[in-house]
Amino acid sequence: MKSFRAGLLLSLGMASLMLAALPAKAADADRWQIPVAVKKLDNGLTVVVSQDRSSPVVGVSVVYGIGMRLEPRNRTGFAHLFEHLMFEGSANAPEGVFDKVITGGGGRNNGSTRPDFTNYVEIAPSSALEPILWLEADRMRMLDFNPATLKNQQDVVKEEIRNNVQNQPYGGFMWLDVGFNAFQKWENNHDGYGSFVDLESATLDDVKAFHRDYYGPNNAILGLAGDISPEEGFALAEKYFGNIPARAVPKGPDFSEGLNTQEKRIQQADKLAQVPAIAMSWKMPDRGSPDQPAMSVLGALLANGDASRLYQGLVKGRELALNVDSLYGLTSEWEYNGPTLFTVFALYKPTTDADAMVKAVDEEVAKIVKDGVDDATLARIKTQLLADWYNGMESFLSRADTLAKLQLLWGDASVANRIPGWIDAVTSADVQRAAKTYLTAANRTVIDRKPAAMIQAPAAARTGQ
Amino acid sequence: MKITMTWVALAVAFALPGAAFAGPGTELPKDLPPYAPDKPLPVAQIEKKTLANGLEVWVVPRDGMPRVDYVLAMRNAGFAADPANSPGFASLFAGLLSEGTAKRDSKAIAEDAQALGGSVGAGASNDGVTVYADALASHAAPMLSLLAEVVRTPSFPDNEVKLAQANALQGLKAAEAQPSFKANRALLAATYGDHPYSRTQQTEASILGVTPASLREAHALRFHPDRALLVITGRIASAEAFRLAEAAFGDWRVPGAESPETPAARRSATPAYLLIQRDGSVQSTLRMGRPAIAATDVDYVPAILAGTVLGGGFSSRVNQNLREDKGYTYGASAGFSPSRMGGRVQAGADVRNEVTGASLEQFFHEFKRLANEPVPERELLDTKRYVAGGYLISNQLQGSVAATLASNWLLGLPSDFLANYVPRIREVNAAQVQAMAKKYFDPKDQSIVVVGDGKAIAEQLKPYGAFKAAE
Repeated sequence: MKSFRAGLLLSLGMASLMLAALPAKAADADRWQIPVAVKKLDNGLTVVVSQDRSSPVVGVSVVYGIGMRLEPRNRTGFAHLFEHLMFEGSANAPEGVFDKVITGGGGRNNGSTRPDFTNYVEIAPSSALEPILWLEADRMRMLDFNPATLKNQQDVVKEEIRNNVQNQPYGGFMWLDVGFNAFQKWENNHDGYGSFVDLESATLDDVKAFHRDYYGPNNAILGLAGDISPEEGFALAEKYFGNIPARAVPKGPDFSEGLNTQEKRIQQADKLAQVPAIAMSWKMPDRGSPDQPAMSVLGALLANGDASRLYQGLVKGRELALNVDSLYGLTSEWEYNGPTLFTVFALYKPTTDADAMVKAVDEEVAKIVKDGVDDATLARIKTQLLADWYNGMESFLSRADTLAKLQLLWGDASVANRIPGWIDAVTSADVQRAAKTYLTAANRTVIDRKPAAMIQAPAAARTGQ
Repeated sequence: MKITMTWVALAVAFALPGAAFAGPGTELPKDLPPYAPDKPLPVAQIEKKTLANGLEVWVVPRDGMPRVDYVLAMRNAGFAADPANSPGFASLFAGLLSEGTAKRDSKAIAEDAQALGGSVGAGASNDGVTVYADALASHAAPMLSLLAEVVRTPSFPDNEVKLAQANALQGLKAAEAQPSFKANRALLAATYGDHPYSRTQQTEASILGVTPASLREAHALRFHPDRALLVITGRIASAEAFRLAEAAFGDWRVPGAESPETPAARRSATPAYLLIQRDGSVQSTLRMGRPAIAATDVDYVPAILAGTVLGGGFSSRVNQNLREDKGYTYGASAGFSPSRMGGRVQAGADVRNEVTGASLEQFFHEFKRLANEPVPERELLDTKRYVAGGYLISNQLQGSVAATLASNWLLGLPSDFLANYVPRIREVNAAQVQAMAKKYFDPKDQSIVVVGDGKAIAEQLKPYGAFKAAE
């Protein structure tokens, strides 16, 4: 239930919402300042509170600064396996208590694992807030390190991978395989879902060490949004989390990478897919780069929704593709802290081929590089990006979660109120520069994924190295 | 920010003393803090008007984020209005409304919606078609004009109809590969017989049979202001909302015949036992069900609670039994599915081949247990909290308030059903839950549909009925 996959879907939904964001000049009626109050407890836990009394509901997110990049070398998939174990009970709250207390309090919960963080989220009537905080603090303090549970969850995760990757058409290649191929460093290009061998090799000592090293209060952000004031939120955080001691966090390696300098083209065979598909990925600017807002606008211009250049040019127009989607790694264009990708994914008609698809995308990008984007189009893209940024903040759950993630990744949750302005300031020249710098052939990784029956010699076509 | 809500003081009786309640058998940590007393339920304050042409307008102003949401529901325009030889027609029809109007082509609609910071689209259900739109607050007026254009003057251009057909055929191809799609089709037929509620899935022939002319004809027959409701919610004053509604729809007149009312669906059926062969399948897709009740039935509220105890969430009985306890499945569920002129119950899970018979046994065990034993007080209270929590979480989102009001209206429920929902759920007692289970979850009344590999599972099915091969 608390799966990588469930989390992924959530994230894609968010990405497309966000993608869809600020009018050239937002009307005053459309300004929305989200309240953000931040306090760091003595043990290093950072607490972010956004008060909104419009509904007697509260969203909770505990985000830990550990994700797939920093899992142990011979333990691919460990960060995600560990996320599962977080739901399996502690010495104080045996397996089953967590879900029952939350649903019995009227709430819902989930978790997900990403390259730079792992997040645990709840939304519930505010009457259930204290039991929820107790449960979150309890599992931050100590888990039930139990061999039966570990074995059970190793099996559950393998079943999840069978369901979501091995037995799925396309097997998530647009978010898994693109990364395996586009990145140079192990931290960025290993399989975060994990190999079965590595998953089976995980031991209780691994679990204990991971919890000790990465799940302390000083490596976490607690986000609260909705029916709670900053004073109440800080006091409750102190009450339930304040006596958990800080724990040393190991220093991670440098996993930064520059842009790629040579294009990669790969063909894959798919036993389950009926229709061929293509994923084209480009490395993104670093988080905080002045090019980041321009990439957000460029991504929306190209591939967000029915008005986008690629939808109008490839689904309509050239009639090559059945759909066009886009994604920013496993998160959004604002929620990463290391190398990540902008990916365009499309199903294409069997009557055409990958070369024609790449050529058509290149033509649309070339138009932007040459002419930039006209004022009217730029204005409506910004309006859409603003609206979608707000939409992503409406639910108290996603507001708590987004603020906690921004606090972790940017060191400042109030970035949430600055992003609209950054988007608003993007010019046509910025979009041109972003297209010219990042959407190049050299910086690109392309995977052509075809139904196995369409490929003459499937064995030779697995991965084109 | 303060929103326009009426605060109803309620249900202090349900403020739980002591520790949080978990399900039976779960020991709770001794220092776990209790739930706090419930706060009063927020209730949407609805202002209503009916335009001269019969169109109802409901406005729910909220002072939250800078967005306005519109939902227009059209009664008798959904699957139940589709001709018998054209199942699923309403989904293509709804999808194509926003692909071209008298004034704008599909590209202009998409670009204009984007410029307003929102979107416009439509979908079909058994009893109606729902057209929805949203925009940044400053663009409320032009977005309602765009919505009205899509509702009043869709043009169903030839090229868009062709593209939608081609995409629907691809979608159907993918769906036919899913065992759950086939299982649902067979179960709907076993439940509703030849009532139109049994015909919601498209077929290749029904997709290919759609033409621009048939779409225009359907629009003239199905879209009439006197069978429509427009809900407006968000950052907008009610006077302004009514003014915009009048400007967009006030002069809308549709002469000519209207599509007929849907006949009542049956309330009971002789159970069918159907096995749909899927060679080499490693799982059995199990579905059980029977006809039940419309949303307006007097049993509806206790039925929802009974369905939630039995199969309405992670902590429900069938999921705890089949998933958490036995490990037969990734998820099991059960519950009621109401429409305007009838409804049904459904239960199901996808299970490993070797536990196909054992899974049916556990489903029926839970059906009988719910009928034969009163639900323990704690479990009942937990489930009521779970339902109330769902209401509160959904009510926090303004678009979801608009969508729920519109879908309740399509079901024939009064506008105050939403406000009274949680209080009425809280009044249900254990005896009523038991009565609902007896009435609607008796194993002998359930049709059973299984999609799986007969070679591996037929023997296990024998105790449950004389299964016939089906498609």
